[in-house]
Amino acid sequence: MSTNAKFGGASVPASRLVSSLAPPGEISSTDIDRSCCIPLLALFGGAALWLVVGSVLALIASIKFHAPDFLANCACLTYGRLQPVADDALLYGFCLPAGLGVALWLLARLSGTPLRGAIVPIVAANLWHLGVFVGLAGILIGDSSGFAWLEFPRGGSVPIFFAYLLLALWSIMIFAGRRGRTLYPSQWFLVAALFWFPWIYSSANLFLLTSPVRGVAQAVIGWWFANNLLVVWTGLVGLGAAFYFLPKITGRPLQSHYLALFAFWTFILFATWCGIPPGAPVPAWMPTLSAVAAAWLLVPWLAVFLVVWQTVHGSVRSSWNNTTFCFVGSGIDAFLLSGLMLMAMACPQISRFTNFTWFGSAETQLRLYGFFAMTMFGAVYYILPRAVGLEFPFPKLARVHFWLSLAGIALLVVPLAIGGIVQGWKLQHPDIVAFADTTKAMLPFLRVSTTGLLLMLLGNLLFFANVMGLTLRWKIALLKQFIAFVKSPLETTSASASLRRDKEVRA
Amino acid sequence: MSDETKSSIPPTSDTEPSVSRSTVPVWIIVLTLVLLFLGMVYFDHHSGWFDSQVYGPYASSEELELYQPKSGAAALLARGKAHYDQVCGLCHGIDGLGKPGQAPPLAGSEWVNTKGFERLTHIPLAGVSGQLSVKGQTWGLAMPAMGAAMSDEDLAAVLTYIRSSWGNKDGPVTADEVKAARSALGAHPLPMSGNQMSKMPE
Repeated sequence: MSTNAKFGGASVPASRLVSSLAPPGEISSTDIDRSCCIPLLALFGGAALWLVVGSVLALIASIKFHAPDFLANCACLTYGRLQPVADDALLYGFCLPAGLGVALWLLARLSGTPLRGAIVPIVAANLWHLGVFVGLAGILIGDSSGFAWLEFPRGGSVPIFFAYLLLALWSIMIFAGRRGRTLYPSQWFLVAALFWFPWIYSSANLFLLTSPVRGVAQAVIGWWFANNLLVVWTGLVGLGAAFYFLPKITGRPLQSHYLALFAFWTFILFATWCGIPPGAPVPAWMPTLSAVAAAWLLVPWLAVFLVVWQTVHGSVRSSWNNTTFCFVGSGIDAFLLSGLMLMAMACPQISRFTNFTWFGSAETQLRLYGFFAMTMFGAVYYILPRAVGLEFPFPKLARVHFWLSLAGIALLVVPLAIGGIVQGWKLQHPDIVAFADTTKAMLPFLRVSTTGLLLMLLGNLLFFANVMGLTLRWKIALLKQFIAFVKSPLETTSASASLRRDKEVRA
Repeated sequence: MSDETKSSIPPTSDTEPSVSRSTVPVWIIVLTLVLLFLGMVYFDHHSGWFDSQVYGPYASSEELELYQPKSGAAALLARGKAHYDQVCGLCHGIDGLGKPGQAPPLAGSEWVNTKGFERLTHIPLAGVSGQLSVKGQTWGLAMPAMGAAMSDEDLAAVLTYIRSSWGNKDGPVTADEVKAARSALGAHPLPMSGNQMSKMPE
């Protein structure tokens, strides 16, 4: 009746068998999984909650496009506050903690080292979610910093920064204590990501909020930060996870070590320069450099495509019944597609039509949700049952979640991308189309995208139900263990006594 | 949680993934180098070479200079050059050296380097036909009244430009003087011949 096989198979008896067969001196994968249990529950549980919060707020924000009166009387629920809160809840609430949890587990597994001192990541995970709560509440009451993707007021940004440092430090310590000399490609990606965020987040906060630089340099730093977080950081963690799960589930070796290394270096080398749109009101060399770097992104794009294609080629059909494979595979497809959109937007001739339109939002949503969140869903569905040692309460709903998310992201991104191009063409011809008509022409596209957000919300609710249900199961199991422990010295007598008492009652 | 599920667990479920050691295809390295080269060429053409004054859509400080508004004598010369390059330069050449068999040179020409400019002003307003000797060479000319359609200010700027470029070093022509010459010629002047011109005061 259980559908363990959907997640690659995590059943308690099987893993116990593995641990008992493991040679002495070698740490079994089950022990490593269990060492991460509580930190992962804390990270993923909070992430699932913020995911639902974020998608509810995104849905409300989207409804405002066709029903401007909807919830318009409360300042907290105006579009200008809701949209950044929804975006940040997805990015800082879900993507980052989920990515950190996946990185922690992957590094522990690949290093063959269990997590020690789990209390620190547990505290850090809670500190992170507290920081996200303060940050989101701060934006809602109007205390936003005003920089895109960096809206958190200091009460939110300081806790998440230190929580990240602690989580990253513990992951790095696991990595430092690794048992093998050779590194698996995922380890490069994950370790680089662990270092990337503190660098960009501290720099952006320092130069934009603590001691702000003057003039257009602010916009440049804002673009640099957003690009490095949304493209480079998510790319590193998402590819790290995908390069682990795709070969694992298909049962084929990753093709190949050197190509993955090539993809890694070219990706971090080129992607970090992107982000300044053509036509930005800054000295010409900056957008030109960004455009050139985006064109160079074709190289890591091709390398990632080749790695994935050669690895999964021929086993897609047989692996398709594995939900993790579906999530990670479609995540990689979204990564490649959003990469093409990024390159197109950096091209000055195309950017004339796509700049200041919905096209950019479509790209961001495809990258954050279609690529990163989908990859993380797949990873969480794989990791969490192993870490906890229990099956999800509704394993079949994971499949429904996949289809809802896939349909939702398609209905969100495709209309926004097409609408963006239509909008851009109309904005370029103000002599034929009036501005008000251009705005009105976007309505059908926005209606479809709202439907997409609704489907995504339903999918996210299923994810939330599974993660929370598993947490509940884990707590019940703990409680049972505790009760059993308390009762154990008296077990035989009390059991027979209660049996006798039952008989008496019935009689 | 039951026994039946154990049989469906894939055998690879808890072993770490392996990785092949096959090499990077050569074509992707070649493509990288080609893209790096093309990217640098593009950057060279569009970046303004890190000049903090050059903003898009301009690509270099020279291009930017071209569009800067000028004042005084420089403005007059720039205006003259713009009109000369567009109208006169087609035959006389933007270097002022003329074209063999088509238009005589203006650089160093005795018809341009004159003390006064009444005669010179008449040439674009009325045109020239027939034989004319320039720098010791005889030209058979049929120059239409190319300057007749220009405003007084533009024509003055063009004449000032040709009188102070390519080694010519003569005084400026003002719009009032062009206006005076235009009214002296009347509504539909005929092209002048060489003889006619040499009899005119400079």
